[in-house]
Amino acid sequence: MAVLSFFQNRMDAWIAARNPATADSIFLHNRRLYILPTRFGYLFAIMQLVLLLAAINYQNSMAYVLTFLLTALGIISLWQTHKNLLGLSIRLKTPRPVYQQEELILEFVISHSNLVDRYAIGIQYMNQPPVYTGLKAEQSTTLRLPLPAVKRGLYKPAGFVIFTRYPTGLFHAWSWVKFDIPVLIFPKPLYDIKLRETISDQQHSKSTIDISDGDDFAGLREFRQGESLKHISWKAFAQGRGMLTKTFQGHASPALWINWLDMTAPSQEGKLSQMTALVIETNQEGRKYGVKLPGLEIEQSEGPAHLNECLQQISTFNQTELNSVLLVDKL
Amino acid sequence: MMINKNLPISQIAQEEASNTAILTVTYSFLISMLPHFFHMPLWVTGFTFFAVAWRSVQSLGYVGGIPRWMLVPFVVVGGISVFAQYWTIVGRDPGLALLTVMTAFKFLESKTHRDILILIFLCYFLLATHFLFGQSILIAAYMFVTLLIITSTLITINQRDDSIPLKSRFKSASKLIALSIPVMIILFVLVPRIPGPLWGLTQEQRGGITGLSDTMSPGAISNLITSNDVAFRVTFEGDIPPQKKLYWRGPVMVNFDGRTWSQTEHKKVTGINRDESLELSRYTITLEPHGKKWLFGLDMPVQIPSDSYMNTEFQITSNKLVNDLKRYSLSSQLNYRLGLDVSPEYLMLADIFHQTRNPQTLALGQKWSRQFNSDIEIVNHALNMFSTENFAYTLQPPRLGKHSSDEFLFQTRRGFCEHYASSFALLMRAAGIPSRIVTGYQGGELNQVGDYLIVRQSDAHAWTEVWLDEKGWVRFDPTAAVSPDRIEQGLDQALLDRASSFKIGKRNPFVSKLMYRWDNLQHNWNDMILNYDHQKQGRFLRQLGLGIKSTGDMIIALVICMVFITGTYWLVARYRERPAAIADYEKIINRLLKKLSRSGYKKLPSEDVYEFLKRIKHQQNFDDTQLTKIFETYSKIKYARDLQQEVVIKRFQKMVSDWKAPG
Repeated sequence: MAVLSFFQNRMDAWIAARNPATADSIFLHNRRLYILPTRFGYLFAIMQLVLLLAAINYQNSMAYVLTFLLTALGIISLWQTHKNLLGLSIRLKTPRPVYQQEELILEFVISHSNLVDRYAIGIQYMNQPPVYTGLKAEQSTTLRLPLPAVKRGLYKPAGFVIFTRYPTGLFHAWSWVKFDIPVLIFPKPLYDIKLRETISDQQHSKSTIDISDGDDFAGLREFRQGESLKHISWKAFAQGRGMLTKTFQGHASPALWINWLDMTAPSQEGKLSQMTALVIETNQEGRKYGVKLPGLEIEQSEGPAHLNECLQQISTFNQTELNSVLLVDKL
Repeated sequence: MMINKNLPISQIAQEEASNTAILTVTYSFLISMLPHFFHMPLWVTGFTFFAVAWRSVQSLGYVGGIPRWMLVPFVVVGGISVFAQYWTIVGRDPGLALLTVMTAFKFLESKTHRDILILIFLCYFLLATHFLFGQSILIAAYMFVTLLIITSTLITINQRDDSIPLKSRFKSASKLIALSIPVMIILFVLVPRIPGPLWGLTQEQRGGITGLSDTMSPGAISNLITSNDVAFRVTFEGDIPPQKKLYWRGPVMVNFDGRTWSQTEHKKVTGINRDESLELSRYTITLEPHGKKWLFGLDMPVQIPSDSYMNTEFQITSNKLVNDLKRYSLSSQLNYRLGLDVSPEYLMLADIFHQTRNPQTLALGQKWSRQFNSDIEIVNHALNMFSTENFAYTLQPPRLGKHSSDEFLFQTRRGFCEHYASSFALLMRAAGIPSRIVTGYQGGELNQVGDYLIVRQSDAHAWTEVWLDEKGWVRFDPTAAVSPDRIEQGLDQALLDRASSFKIGKRNPFVSKLMYRWDNLQHNWNDMILNYDHQKQGRFLRQLGLGIKSTGDMIIALVICMVFITGTYWLVARYRERPAAIADYEKIINRLLKKLSRSGYKKLPSEDVYEFLKRIKHQQNFDDTQLTKIFETYSKIKYARDLQQEVVIKRFQKMVSDWKAPG
């Protein structure tokens, strides 16, 4: 077994060296393509051998014709199957992050500029079921491969197998393609209203009043493109002072700290799930928030970039090795 | 690092087969079986249809599948039924029945992609079985059509897209087969043939083939007369002998039990005495399979094929049953003397008259033997009787009873060649002259297109040989006496009451010309394709004059031809399916992308043009209405083909070159 795994490792290394990961699109040229008979290909060969023996034994000319025609069909299939994959370009779009246990959709853009149609191009990741597509001449298509998001974290997908057996299924042509594209899986959010209220109450007393859109009129300022017309001071406009927007001051909700230490779940993963839920909810409320993880603190802020930053940090917390391989099996 | 090395083969094989897959494989199977349904036992055909119908209805969801455990006893019963039908499972017919029944069971249990593929392979295999029943051009054409249908099914299964129309699937299959045919021809011609058989074949008696029988009773030959089938075709090396000398010798019968003539066992002749001074006629016969051992030769064969022997009656017998087309060359002397050294025992055998039957015939013969001095006078008198008295020649003679010869000679006087030959031979025996019946064919039609003779089953004939002192066995044809037309111009004119004509030349000139061509095509098919064996291959390749002499040369030629043909395919495909030229508008947009990248806005490789634009507008607060307009124009041009005109592209080009990067 040791010898076998030694060769296995050498093989892996060889394949990895031949198929470096890239963020760019991969062109399937001759050197990247492999082709072998399928089990049915071998069965087909055995059937022909039987036919050939029968033809020789019975000296039956038409049996020879049939045998040789099937042999020719096999040879032509070998070429056609290889040709069906040759010259394709494939790239992986950066996938939208998903929550754990949701479906991760990987979108591949497959294109070619050849004047020929392609059929039954499959893509497979590890042991997941493959998905198939066809391509008209000179066109491109997007192939969606759904994968289970098993574990939170930031990953790199391992190699994908792009393959085809068209037209006869006697041969399996394939290529390994590896993309340097990050895949981010957030923890599954664990909503807990009680926890949220507790934290909010605790922090409310300490928090400062923030300036935001409120109920009390606070003054006028220059109108900016995209602001609601409701808040334009038409009075000032009528007075010839130009477009001015009324600003209001109110008792805005206080900014929140989402702190690892406040989480009630017993396990690390539970705590992270609770934090994820809180980040999402606080963001929806339009409040500012910050995240405190052991050894890491993200300042209180708001906006989509901040949300992403917070979720990513929570997702990758304690992930032993960043950019490790995306696994799709239940662990 | 981890890379998936497991090919997803097993997974794909386990996928559930779609209804389209089941449907297409069903009609492929029925079509590939069709010719067999006409000769298989009815229950096999019935069972096949039952299984196929059940599986089809099952795929529509009306009935459930038959559980696998129930299939096992069914399979056993199926096997036993086949055995009960034939009392063996070895051989052509039982083997086919067994294969059919098992394929039908496979249908019943088919669920997965894998099952469907196995069924398709069985269909391919079934195609070969037709050639055990016949190898005519029509069957070959049927094979090609069926092969196309099966292959289109195979493509359907592997296309993984049921929305692709049937027509397109047939087109793909046609292309695949069209590409395969030249490769097949190269393999057929150049793969060195091994002289078979590799192992002993069981000699099966096959029924249902038209041809002469090894016995002759009244009505035996007139049945054949209505068959249009070709018995054999003959190519002469020199001139074709005149019609009245074309007696194709088949089974010789000397035993007579009062009604039926039959053959007797004979020693092989070791050497043939031939008169060196007489001219030889050399010819080659392509004999259609007739399921018996005898071969035909022109009276009187002197050189026979090596895989056959001749007995003292000068009947040629093949070492094997003629179950396949057989081509053989031989030569004959049309003038001969035969049987001067015949044994007295044989002459006694040829003079036996069963006295319990045909007393009138016996009496007449005995009267003649007293009346005439020599045997030849008796013979002539008998022939004279047939020609002068009111004997008629008909295909539908009245039925004859126990004393068949008496009834024919003295009452009905209407008959066919076997009646005349039989009665004549009996009269001779009654007069004490040894006689025997020879069956075979008489005449043949010349195909002017190919310059060969076509001998049909309708040319079947029976005549008599009489042993005369110092002359030996002499051929007399009493049928010729009654109706000289029969021999001079062929059977058809004699058959006034039933003008069924099989001779091509009797039809209108246009049709007959087409039919001669068709027959010639069949003859060439037999000669070139079906007889292409070890010897023919060697001869053919030598005649090509390319220096292909040995097996080694053939293999070299094979490799060269294969490299040439695959190279040609590759080059043609490379040209026909070449990448389309990069469109002008793509070149223009690439120039713009370069400009943008110089000013620091780099398109990421994982983005396309639109995603890139969205990003730089969104993230970099890049607001350039001109740029937005450029991209809009680009997308319009790209997706609306009618906009891909020079004017539009020129304007687009100007737009791009006018644009200046900010800052």
